[in-house]
Amino acid sequence: MTQQQTAAKAGDDGEPRIRVRGLGKHYGALEVFKNINFDVGKREIVAIVGPSGCGKTTLLRCIDGLLPHDVGEILVGDTRVTEPIAGVAMVFQHFGLFPWKTVSENVAYGLRMAGAPKAEIARKVPEFIKLVGLAGFENAFPYQMSGGMQQRCGLARALAVEPNVLLMDEPFAAVDAQTREILQFELLRIWQERPTAMVFVTHSIEEAVLLGHRVIVLKGRPSSIHETITIDLPEPRTRETLQHPRFAVLRERVWSTLMAEAREAEFVLER
Amino acid sequence: MLNTALRRHAPFWISIAAGIAIWEIAGRSTSQAFMVPFSVTIKALWQLLLTGEFIRQFFDSAELFLTGFMLSLAVGMPLGMLLARVRVLRIGVEPYIMILYATPMVALIPFILSMMGFGFAPKVLVVFLFAVFPVIYNTVEGARSIKPELIEVAQSFRSTEWALWRDVMVPYTLPYAMTGVRQAIGRALVGMIAAEFFLSSTGLGQLIMTASQNFDTAGVFASVLVIALIGVALMRAGLVIEQHFARWRQ
Repeated sequence: MTQQQTAAKAGDDGEPRIRVRGLGKHYGALEVFKNINFDVGKREIVAIVGPSGCGKTTLLRCIDGLLPHDVGEILVGDTRVTEPIAGVAMVFQHFGLFPWKTVSENVAYGLRMAGAPKAEIARKVPEFIKLVGLAGFENAFPYQMSGGMQQRCGLARALAVEPNVLLMDEPFAAVDAQTREILQFELLRIWQERPTAMVFVTHSIEEAVLLGHRVIVLKGRPSSIHETITIDLPEPRTRETLQHPRFAVLRERVWSTLMAEAREAEFVLER
Repeated sequence: MLNTALRRHAPFWISIAAGIAIWEIAGRSTSQAFMVPFSVTIKALWQLLLTGEFIRQFFDSAELFLTGFMLSLAVGMPLGMLLARVRVLRIGVEPYIMILYATPMVALIPFILSMMGFGFAPKVLVVFLFAVFPVIYNTVEGARSIKPELIEVAQSFRSTEWALWRDVMVPYTLPYAMTGVRQAIGRALVGMIAAEFFLSSTGLGQLIMTASQNFDTAGVFASVLVIALIGVALMRAGLVIEQHFARWRQ
C-alpha cells in the first residue's frame, strides 16, 4: 500500500498518476471546456484557477468519474475513468458531511463503502480524526461544529481511505479567511506526511500559488488551458513561503493572466 | 422551579377546566336527547368500562387501526422513496396519487363494499387508503429535497445502490416521512370509524352506532371522547418520534 517506494521530494517523479488527454465536455448545446491536456505526478499538487463558471469544478467531477466526459480520456494509473474508482477521494466545497452522522461515523463512511473490515475501521477512524486535529469531537454532529471543523472532518473522511489521488473542490471557499489560512497550512503539513497526487480547484490565486507545484489557468468559453505556470518555490511550503520574494512574483504572474481573462468573462456575461 | 412550571402550564389547565365547565353547563341546560353534561359522560364511560364491553370493542378497533396504519407505513415510505429516486416512475404514478389523495375516501366505501364484502380485509383497506397518501406525499417531498451533493458524496465513495438507501436516503427522509405519519394517524382514525360505520359494524364505531340508535347520548359522547383522546395521544407520540429522528436537523 505504501507510495514511498520512490523517495523523491515534492514534484513530479516518474510516471504521472493522472493523465488527462484531449478532454472535452458539453452540457447540451453548451460546450464547457475542450482540449484539456495535463498530467499530475504521484507527489504533485496541481492547482486549477479560472473565472467563475469556467468549468473547473466540472473538470474535477469528470476526473472523479462523477460526470461523464464527451471527448478524450482520463487515466488514473492504468485505469480509464468512466465512473468513480478506488484510490481517488474528493473533498467537497460544502463539506458534504452527512448531518445525521457523527464525526466518527462520517470519517468511517468512505472506509465502510470501500468494504474495509470492522477492525481496520476501528483503528483508522481515530487515527485520521487525530491527524486533522479533531480529537475530542468524535461524537459531535456537523451542526455542532464550525465550518472549519466540518471541513477537517471532510478531509479526514477522504484521507481515511488512503487515496493516491485527492481531488479538492474549492475546499476552503466556504470558511472564513482566518480559518482558511489555518487549513491551508494544515493541508500542507498533512500532505508532507502523506504525499499524494492532488488536483486543487480554487478561486484564490494566493492559495493556488501557495499549494500548487503547478498552476493551470483555464480560459475562455468554452474554456481550455490558457497557461500552466510552474511554481518553483522552495519545499516544504510553510508560512515563510508567503514572505518569499518569488511568491509575490508568481502570484502577480497568475493574477495578470487570470484578470485579463476575468474581464473578458464578465463582458461575456453582461452581453 | 415549581412556580415557573405552574405558571407556564396554567393557561393550558385553565382552558381545559373552562372547556369542561362550558360542556357541563351546556349539557345541563339542553335536552339529554341532544347533549349530556361532562359528568354524565364520564359516568357512562365508567359503566361501559365496568361491563367490559368497551374494552372488547376498543381492542377490536385497535386491531383494525394498527393493521391498516402499519400497512400504510410499510407501503407508503418505501414507495415514496422509490418515487423520489426513479424519475420515470414518479411522473407516471404521481397523477394517480394526487387524484386519490384529493378524493374523499368515504365516497369509495360503497365501491369497496361491493368489491370485497363485509370482512376484515375491506375495512383494513379503508383505513389504509385514508392513511397512506400523506405518508407517500411527505416521503416523496422529503426524499426529493435531499441535497444532490450528498448523493454525489455517496457516488464518489463508490456506494452501492443498497448502501445509498441505507446510509443516505432513509436517514435523510425519515423526519420528513414522520410529518406524513402524524397526518396519517388522524386520517387512519377517521378511516377506522368510517369503516366501522359503513362496512360490518364492530369496535368503537359500532358502540357509537348502537348508542345513537338507542338514543343513549351519554354512550355516544363517551366513545367519541375516548377516540379524540387517543387521537391526540397518538399525534403527540408521532411528534416525539419525529423529533427523535430529526435531532440532526438544527
